[in-house]
Amino acid sequence: MKFAYYPGCSARSTCAELNVATHRVAAKLGLELTPLESATCTGARELRAIDPVKFYALNVRILALAEREGLPLMTICNTCTLNLLDAHAAVCDDADLLREVNGQLRDEGLEYRRTTRISHFLWVLYEDIGEEKLRDLVVKPLTGLTVAAFYGCHITRPPGRYGFVDSRNNVALERLATLLGCEPIDYSGRTECCGFHTAAHDERIAIKLTGQHILSAKENGAKAMVTPCPLCHTVLDSFQKEIEKDLGQKLDVPVLHLPQLVGLALGLSANELNIEKHMVNFGVDI
Amino acid sequence: MRILRTQVVIVGGGAAGCYAALNLHRKGIKTIIVCKGLVGKSGASLFAGNLVLSGRTLGNTEEQARNTAEFLIKYHNQFLIDQEWAKRCGAWIASVYYPELEEAGLYFRRDNDGNMVVSPGKIRSIAANIQGNSGVPFMDVRRKQVIKAGIETVEETVVTALLRNADGSIAGVFGLQVLTGEYVVVLAQATILATGYSDRLHARSTGTREMSADGLAMAWRAGASMVNLEMQWWHTNDVAYPPTWQRMQIYPNPMLGSEKSARMVNSEGEEFFDQQKDDPLAFGPYTVQLKALAKQVHAGKARFTGGYYAGFDQCAPGEVEAYTTYAKVYNQLGMDFPKSLIETAVTAHYRQGGIDVDTTTMSSSVPGLYVAGGLGGHCNGLIALVTYDGKVVADGVADNLVNLREPDLPDVQVEQERERLEGLLVGAGTGDAPCAPGELKESVRAVMWEKAGVEKDARSLNEGLEEFSRIRRELVPRLRAKTAVRAANYDWLDAIDCLNMIEAAELVVLSSLQREESRGPFMRRDFPETDNENWLTANLLHKAGNGYRFEKRDYNLSLFRPDFARANNLEVPW
Amino acid sequence: MPAPVAIDARRLGQAEHADGLRARNARIAIGAPVIVRIRRSDDGRLQEFRTPYQKAMRVLDALNAIALKDAPDLAFRWFCGSKMCGTCAVRMNGREVLACWEAVEPEMTVEPLRNLPVIRDLVVDRTPYERKVASFEPWLTRPEPYPGFPEPLSHKAIKNASKAIDCISCMSCYSACPVIRLGSLTDFAGPAPLVQLGQTALDPRQDQQQVARALSHSGIFNCVSCYKCEEVCPAHIPIVSGVIEPLKAKAVQLVPQMARHPLAFRAVVARRGRIDPGELILRVQGLRVLAVIPRLVRLLLRGKINPLRTILGSKTPAAGAADRILNKAGHP
Repeated sequence: MKFAYYPGCSARSTCAELNVATHRVAAKLGLELTPLESATCTGARELRAIDPVKFYALNVRILALAEREGLPLMTICNTCTLNLLDAHAAVCDDADLLREVNGQLRDEGLEYRRTTRISHFLWVLYEDIGEEKLRDLVVKPLTGLTVAAFYGCHITRPPGRYGFVDSRNNVALERLATLLGCEPIDYSGRTECCGFHTAAHDERIAIKLTGQHILSAKENGAKAMVTPCPLCHTVLDSFQKEIEKDLGQKLDVPVLHLPQLVGLALGLSANELNIEKHMVNFGVDI
Repeated sequence: MRILRTQVVIVGGGAAGCYAALNLHRKGIKTIIVCKGLVGKSGASLFAGNLVLSGRTLGNTEEQARNTAEFLIKYHNQFLIDQEWAKRCGAWIASVYYPELEEAGLYFRRDNDGNMVVSPGKIRSIAANIQGNSGVPFMDVRRKQVIKAGIETVEETVVTALLRNADGSIAGVFGLQVLTGEYVVVLAQATILATGYSDRLHARSTGTREMSADGLAMAWRAGASMVNLEMQWWHTNDVAYPPTWQRMQIYPNPMLGSEKSARMVNSEGEEFFDQQKDDPLAFGPYTVQLKALAKQVHAGKARFTGGYYAGFDQCAPGEVEAYTTYAKVYNQLGMDFPKSLIETAVTAHYRQGGIDVDTTTMSSSVPGLYVAGGLGGHCNGLIALVTYDGKVVADGVADNLVNLREPDLPDVQVEQERERLEGLLVGAGTGDAPCAPGELKESVRAVMWEKAGVEKDARSLNEGLEEFSRIRRELVPRLRAKTAVRAANYDWLDAIDCLNMIEAAELVVLSSLQREESRGPFMRRDFPETDNENWLTANLLHKAGNGYRFEKRDYNLSLFRPDFARANNLEVPW
Repeated sequence: MPAPVAIDARRLGQAEHADGLRARNARIAIGAPVIVRIRRSDDGRLQEFRTPYQKAMRVLDALNAIALKDAPDLAFRWFCGSKMCGTCAVRMNGREVLACWEAVEPEMTVEPLRNLPVIRDLVVDRTPYERKVASFEPWLTRPEPYPGFPEPLSHKAIKNASKAIDCISCMSCYSACPVIRLGSLTDFAGPAPLVQLGQTALDPRQDQQQVARALSHSGIFNCVSCYKCEEVCPAHIPIVSGVIEPLKAKAVQLVPQMARHPLAFRAVVARRGRIDPGELILRVQGLRVLAVIPRLVRLLLRGKINPLRTILGSKTPAAGAADRILNKAGHP
């Protein structure tokens, strides 16, 4: 199974372990990942809020690059995914916009024909691998690992436009966790916001938004958290010490990237999955 | 207790009240708006679906201009309207209304090329932002104009009594601030009642929660004359369920950008009304629809309470959803739009009649008491017409201010009113079997629905009066709120409202007995004919001592006259 | 390109929870009891009631039935009952809804909106919201004289404002916003006041100085883009993408001193092609980063940051494309 692969900026910098883990797990799953070397940043939340047309141009370019390879596009970051879905939907709705954006890509010999399928790794697991095959590949069921899933906002909202269900009704991560042998935990933060997108200028928002949820996960018995978004991971993991200070208590809740959770169940070691790169030690006996 | 003093106090924060306040402000006259709900966010003004183009506005032809006038006089008021007033009003709307609104920022819907989107046909209309929802941005602009002007507003405050000077003129108002349970008095030289047209007196009514005929009842108690209270309009296409949606209309009007309208079918699936086919001149075809429905009811193929259906199944979905909100009900119920039709029922809507006014000044028969909007008996409601009222009443008050005295605080009346209201609150749960205000309201509405509903006769009306007498005798003395909490006690408010409702309902029934004919939406089983010989006249109700008397007053017919003397009302095409 | 396995991963959970309007309107049989637990403010308890289900019952119908039969002292606000006045918003099972518009659930907990003072039971004080809106000067001020009716204006030019005009100021979004819940920690005005601002600020006829004044105390860059506002908006206004982001774009133009974060973001991407978090933080926070040196050391030890790459300004293979697209003539 071949995919064009777009890891985003975080997985190439502060969450480099996510990129490593993704490649290793992809190999185990039989996913062949074709990187899009010249793909730019999708713009997070900032570029769309400065100049929407340029934002669309950058994102449509990424979609066109995948289209040129003739491959579906796999992502591993929520915000990247939403941006790409947004751009695809926008040019499907607005022929004038498509024309304008393609005009900016013409010099490179690119032209988007609106056929790229965008799929977050979480969805690839269900739609392209399938639960049955995944179950067969599990060699080390993660029995005893109580895990709290932190979906993050951008693959659960906004409603109505990208095929998302009511965010409260998401079960994909819990269902996957169960399949991998974990015990999913219900708690307050499943589809709440981590606050990453204001962290660069005011991380107190992220700290205060997230602390209560890590605490809730812990109080409900979670030994670890898992998230499909490296931006959420950055807050949950890299800010956890600041969060502890703000709450006035220790948390010590390790946070896994989604591919890492899958990788462990598929028999990869914590080292192979670069889990030791996290700020909060994993240290869970599984 | 707060005591406020101003030059003019306006009761009601809808289209008429806000516009009156803005005009008075422009003239440098100090105004306070007291609103039972929230200024611009309560009452009926929000419900304006779209905005009729009158005169030669926006490319209206001479014929279309004439059609609009004819619609206003014939279909909308059944000739019970001062046609000279209608001319003045139409001229003002054609020249001032639209430009002024757009200048203030109201967005009249365009297409992507910049053309105004219009509903085509014999009478044309436009919409503010989107059809079906024009009243919302309209009133939002008004609310913000009021804020910008710095006009003082006292919101979520019910005016419970008009205060009188020694000479009988009105000194201001007494009110209860519902959120806190505290009292407020506003003294003014002039009092404008702008409390709206729809009083929620019937079991099914488009009136909003807070409507309980307060304006009508207080004016009557102060001695003001009423007119045509029996002339009650009905919506035919309001959703049958749930109860809260009794005011959710499947609008029968022509749609922006389309040549189609909703259609109605009976219980056997036969179409019996489509405005485009059946009466294109009846732009707001409520009465014509009602008559068509009545025929179906008589044939056993529908009921006034349901069993007939409305929808847009002859339209493409894009056609309806491009410029209207009409699909929202179907979608919210998970229905298949536009294929599915929804069950509808009749709902009491505008009351065309109301307080009798001098249409050149909007003064009632009581000095110092003015009226604007649907509360007046001079015309049926429509947002443009009531806005005009706001202008006329501001002019009328301004011109007369020099003759209106500055009031003294009428201590005795204030104390009496305070005691009266406390009596409805305190003593909660004590004494013998208290009468629950909420239940009493439902009883009053049930009486009106059964005895003074769409079709009535002398027998049902008299039974209604007997019911109200019984209610006054047996239930009203026991009326109490259940608890004595002061803050946001809507039960207490219900008790206060009840008394106004009973008062107004009785006046409506008495007026209904008096008009011995059927006319438009006013349908009497015992007088099924429209009688232009005897009843093309205002049905005035005057206070006389402790009682009342009726009086007829002719209308001028300068523009249009009916073309028959007597005819079966159901066969009359308006 | 369709997926090999016929499952829609984004819709997982919809079937289990019988999501969707059709399902939600068919959940209960007529006459069956609807269990309603309502937050009473006198002692903070949840008081439980039962009321028989009526056809197409809305939350407001349940409240009315309960008030009529069992609890006349229950305080709740509504006027129009038809999704126009926006005064009946409450929280039902934790989610903000318009009581008149939302179908009942077989079991419901009904509570007042968050982030606003409670007056009694389900009635909240609108004043904090109204004050914020008023502080934005939410009316049209024309810098040019009005040209007369009908003025030249296309729907395309006013599209975003037109969506904002659907707002009935129900304050559901204000209640749902997690940043507003942080109270005075930030100066974020909140989604509802910003939508109200957007009605005129995104109107091409508006005086831009008035817009700048309003934006300068809007705290708009504290929106975290969580879309919880859009999730609860009964008018389906695209609050983030259709109002807040266009307002942010205006702030970049009119009040650039507020927009350090997005402008720095764009500068980094335009030069390198991708984000270097180190450079972004340095540009946004400047010398303030010195205050967190211990944290930087911890991050460095785990390999989470790469100061060399930050300082050297290394470009990625995406730099060319980013430069071409972002730096082309005509960008703001």
